[in-house]
Amino acid sequence: MLTEFLPDISDAELEQFMQIMLTQHGYDFRGYAPASLKRRLGLVIKKYGFTSLIPLNQRLLTQPEYLRYFINEITVSTTELFRDPAAWVALRVQALPPFFALPEIRIWHVGASTGEEVISMAILLQEIGLYSRARIFATDIDDISIEKAKSAQYPARSRNLYKQNFQAVFPTSSFEKYAHEEGGHLVFDPSLLKNTRFLKHNIVTEAAFGEFEVILCRNLLIYFTPPLQDQVVTKLVDSLVPGGILMIGTKESLFWCSAAKRLIAVNDSERIYRKQK
Amino acid sequence: MIPRGPEVFLWIIGGSAGSFNPIRSFLHQMPYYREVAIILCLHRLRNPRVGMVEAIGALKGWEVSEPDDKTYIHGGHVYISPADYHLLVEATGYLSLSVEEPVHFSRPSIDVLLESVVRARWKKAAAALFSGANRDGAQGMYLMHQAGHFTAIQDPDDAEIRTMPEAALALFEPNVRFKAADFVKVCLQAITL
Repeated sequence: MLTEFLPDISDAELEQFMQIMLTQHGYDFRGYAPASLKRRLGLVIKKYGFTSLIPLNQRLLTQPEYLRYFINEITVSTTELFRDPAAWVALRVQALPPFFALPEIRIWHVGASTGEEVISMAILLQEIGLYSRARIFATDIDDISIEKAKSAQYPARSRNLYKQNFQAVFPTSSFEKYAHEEGGHLVFDPSLLKNTRFLKHNIVTEAAFGEFEVILCRNLLIYFTPPLQDQVVTKLVDSLVPGGILMIGTKESLFWCSAAKRLIAVNDSERIYRKQK
Repeated sequence: MIPRGPEVFLWIIGGSAGSFNPIRSFLHQMPYYREVAIILCLHRLRNPRVGMVEAIGALKGWEVSEPDDKTYIHGGHVYISPADYHLLVEATGYLSLSVEEPVHFSRPSIDVLLESVVRARWKKAAAALFSGANRDGAQGMYLMHQAGHFTAIQDPDDAEIRTMPEAALALFEPNVRFKAADFVKVCLQAITL
């Protein structure tokens, strides 16, 4: 043990953890970036008052019902409405116009977490009159987050930040058209999710499931090592129609991804790319 | 060849309110070392995505950047933790970002960065903590100290806001308590190549 602040996680314990997750539960954490994974595991170990990964591994083996809570604890679910407003403006102004004439626009949110970006995209589509033609898929490995996403309700304390971000993207529109406060929650209009299917899906281990005009995968790649980033981005680019859009987090990079050569930048600083035709 | 990845000596510098000017002034006096990367973790406003590199200005020899995720660490570089992301060091020599919850209301958090250096069992590293108004960094500095790395904490009497250095000093005695004006000397003293 390194200290009372930082439960040590030995390589052998981590290896055992990965084996259990893979063989017993079908989750492959081998390509996750170790710094963050070990930190998340350390937090769970501390929360349960353990001093190493061994009792946690034991629990994952003997109490399968604990798994869904564990996946929720280990994955980072932080997200917000219109995080990086400038990126959303760029998406609207620079990336989406070629799809305006299409009868249908298919969108995939990969790692949708608690759904704030699903709502962001739905509002954006509503504002530009495309929502009725949109078919939206939102996937995540964490079904507790998916349940939260389906509710379209967030803590009321998020309101100021969300409204501020919204106004930065739509200076002349009204946030209140889409959300109101009720019982300590910020409640979004449920019709924003009517074209959306939420699915439990693991982008690391499962195949993609269709072709999309737009794929958003923001602040998920940061938890992967460069080889896994390469593998996942290849899967995403394969799932785009020619001319389709990939949007990643503004501090994520395609530097380690071979599929980057099949993309051209729509807005490089906002990390929005189009698949070459 | 400029040293890269795990071979680089990491000088980690954390600070919050009252730390920017002394750290900027230090950077402008610090001689260039191709074997050393300086990583700054400074609390800052969450929204501005750019501006810190410009605020620091051009340095003699050192390249300054806000790294993207999975940037491979190079010597002779000053890396600034991007606003609204935690920055972590990977044992394989990369810098990773994370958007997990703020720690001590801070993202980036100095504790998260220093913890990652210790977990990575980085060979050559040192850490300093400057002025600030909260407790972030104290625990990380203690971990660095326990891991056998050189640690330096600004003398609370010299700090614009004493809370942050005091919180760390309550946990352990560092190798050096320094005054900001002397920090270049402290920094050079710690570099073991």
